[in-house]
Amino acid sequence: MGKRLKMASHVAKWLQKGKVNRLLVIFTFMFVPLFLLLIFTYIPFVKMMGFSFYDMKYIGKREFIGLQNYVAVFQRDDCFKALRLSLYYIGASFVQMSLALYFASVLSTNIRGGNLFKGFMFFPFLICGIAVGFIFKFFYTRGFVLDTVLAWCGFTQDQLPYWLKDTSINNISIAATSIWRYMGQNMVLFIGAIMSVDSTMYEAAAIDGANEWNKFRYIVFPSIKTIIILNMILSITGSLSAFEPPYVITNGSFGTATYFVVMNKLAHENQKVGLASAMAVILLVIILAATLIQKLIFKYFFGEGEEESWRDKNRRRKRQVMLEKEGVL
Amino acid sequence: MKFWRRFGAAGLAAIMATSLAGCGGAKATATEAGKEEKVAAEVPKFTDLKVGEDYTDIKADLRFLTHKTDLVDTTFQEYVKEFQKMYPGVTITYEGITSYADDIITRLTTGDWGDICMVPMQLDKNELKNYFVPYGDKTELEKKYIMLNNFSYKNVVYGIPSAGNVQGIVYNKKVFKDAGITEIPKTPDEFLAALQKIKDNTDSIPLYTNFAASWTMTAWDAYITGSATGDPDYANNGLIHSANPFEKRADMTGPYAVYYVLYEAVARGLTEEDPTTTDWEGSKGLMNNGKIATMALGSWSVVQMQLAGDHGEDIGYMPFPITVDGKQYVSASPDYNYGVNVNSSQDNQIASMLYVKWLTENSNFSYDQGGIPVCLGEKYPDVYKMFDGVKLVIDNPAPDGEETLYNDINNDSEVGINVSPEGVSKILEAATTGTPTLDELMADRNSRWTASQKKFGAIK
Repeated sequence: MGKRLKMASHVAKWLQKGKVNRLLVIFTFMFVPLFLLLIFTYIPFVKMMGFSFYDMKYIGKREFIGLQNYVAVFQRDDCFKALRLSLYYIGASFVQMSLALYFASVLSTNIRGGNLFKGFMFFPFLICGIAVGFIFKFFYTRGFVLDTVLAWCGFTQDQLPYWLKDTSINNISIAATSIWRYMGQNMVLFIGAIMSVDSTMYEAAAIDGANEWNKFRYIVFPSIKTIIILNMILSITGSLSAFEPPYVITNGSFGTATYFVVMNKLAHENQKVGLASAMAVILLVIILAATLIQKLIFKYFFGEGEEESWRDKNRRRKRQVMLEKEGVL
Repeated sequence: MKFWRRFGAAGLAAIMATSLAGCGGAKATATEAGKEEKVAAEVPKFTDLKVGEDYTDIKADLRFLTHKTDLVDTTFQEYVKEFQKMYPGVTITYEGITSYADDIITRLTTGDWGDICMVPMQLDKNELKNYFVPYGDKTELEKKYIMLNNFSYKNVVYGIPSAGNVQGIVYNKKVFKDAGITEIPKTPDEFLAALQKIKDNTDSIPLYTNFAASWTMTAWDAYITGSATGDPDYANNGLIHSANPFEKRADMTGPYAVYYVLYEAVARGLTEEDPTTTDWEGSKGLMNNGKIATMALGSWSVVQMQLAGDHGEDIGYMPFPITVDGKQYVSASPDYNYGVNVNSSQDNQIASMLYVKWLTENSNFSYDQGGIPVCLGEKYPDVYKMFDGVKLVIDNPAPDGEETLYNDINNDSEVGINVSPEGVSKILEAATTGTPTLDELMADRNSRWTASQKKFGAIK
């Protein structure tokens, strides 16, 4: 009996030892999220990678065909044509970020009713994507919300286009819904970043005679660079894989089928699961490449974190070289 | 007991999973075959079951997956109550699935989806035995029921139709009268002329496509076989083996004529002005009160249109306007079929069979939903009075050895007849903008169809 107690107290002591304890805490806290991540992200992803090498349906026999699915994706004209639509969503994400940045800089000052506005603008992000789709389906219906509002502004029904049918405008209509949905979320991230800027910097700048724009350009912007990069990467990744708005609002009709909508159609309606999986893998590669390029561009122009941008570094080096040359001369 | 049943189900699910995991082939089929024999020995034949007399003390918890989300809390609950009067030990839980056609395939692969479901159309016939309990021999079942072809394989039936549909056009009689249409149009051009009259003489939308709902567009695909050709062998034989089936025919029959109606109606402005924002639920009421004149939908829609407002008596149903050699035909086809899970416990399978039999013979479901009867010799709903002199065409099954050929070609070519709304949607989009023309669209279909026909050896 006593022996057992002794053992138990040994174990307890061992568990309380700093290093063991820390590992134990790390392990228990990490276990649940990692477990979920593994089950719902990595295992399905590996499975999907596997599918992409097969000619298969959901049900029925499957045949290993190597890289043929990947070749087929590049040979089809509808897949990459669909990627072009992402430009609309990328365009929208720039509008969305600049609006978010604008509202964030306004709302991060001590403005009256600021919290209420923050709440209002953040709210759309909380609605699920499918519901947003349905809201805008009615919003754009002829003679409904948008047309009525524009009628108040003096437009007549005949002057207004069919927002979802007219192929020159329907992609813009749909991309606009994602601005509405994600702007608030971007804004909240920006506000958080702006709030963390040391306020004595503003006072110092004010004493030096800086105006509001100068303050934004030289104090706020450099301090929230990292968040801007993050938001931008998220937005562009999201643009490349835009799915919910076109799927729910138009089901990809009238030239609004994005890459994901095409993929979904091939997998579910035509039962070409292997081909659709290959499309997904290719999109992943494209997104990784896009992220990398973005990071490099940012590093070149603005630098990362505390680091100076490559452009500035280059300029300084050139200047130094020039100075040295002049000195020699 | 319960634990072991669970365990058994999990085990079977595991077998299913491994058989699906790609190693496939011989090992999997061996286990499947063994299972099939076992089931066949234990579960009585569908025709031998006497509902209300056999197995009245059976105990089972059944889960029923259905696409009829609108009836889950109403009609189906009454069915369950009725059934429980005879079988108090059976409980039935209905689960309505909104995007049924897409979701059910994924659910099936798990093996543990429930006990009864509506057999998905995309399932290949040679796979039926791996998922569903056989009801019995087709030759025997055919003495009592019709339309068993779709889910039979090698003379074994795996699906009993829940209801039968004919493929015609639902219309508002009052609008037709107001527009001055005295005779029901019988050819594509007569029909288009009638739509024009409706546009000129009334405020109604002549043809409402319900484009935005997208599944509604597949109704057009349903006309291209029996209704458009009068040939019961066309769907599983003619369409597959003939060269360029989508080509225009001189007598305006066949698939081209069907799509011609849609294309021209849209091009001539005889449909709703903004197809992208149509509203399916709302359209029923509009049809009922005469704001819409016609819609291309199966006969299942009639009852829904009648119940959507105060003018139920105005709703009529007519054959699709194509005449083949002076005679009109209309496709009759089964709605979703009931299938029973091959992985369920024996008790559950027997209880499911009993319930399916009760649904088919005693629930009056098909009649109440405006469908044609599944049991031979039962009466047709009144709405089919229009169909006097019109011949019903039920598709014959594919020849032996070609059971999966249609699905193979249909999927590979991405034409997607009846499974993908995209093909029909493209016709509407093209008609709206004017390019490409219908001839170009059909030529594209033909070339893709031909390529797949060759790939699977359907033509030389």
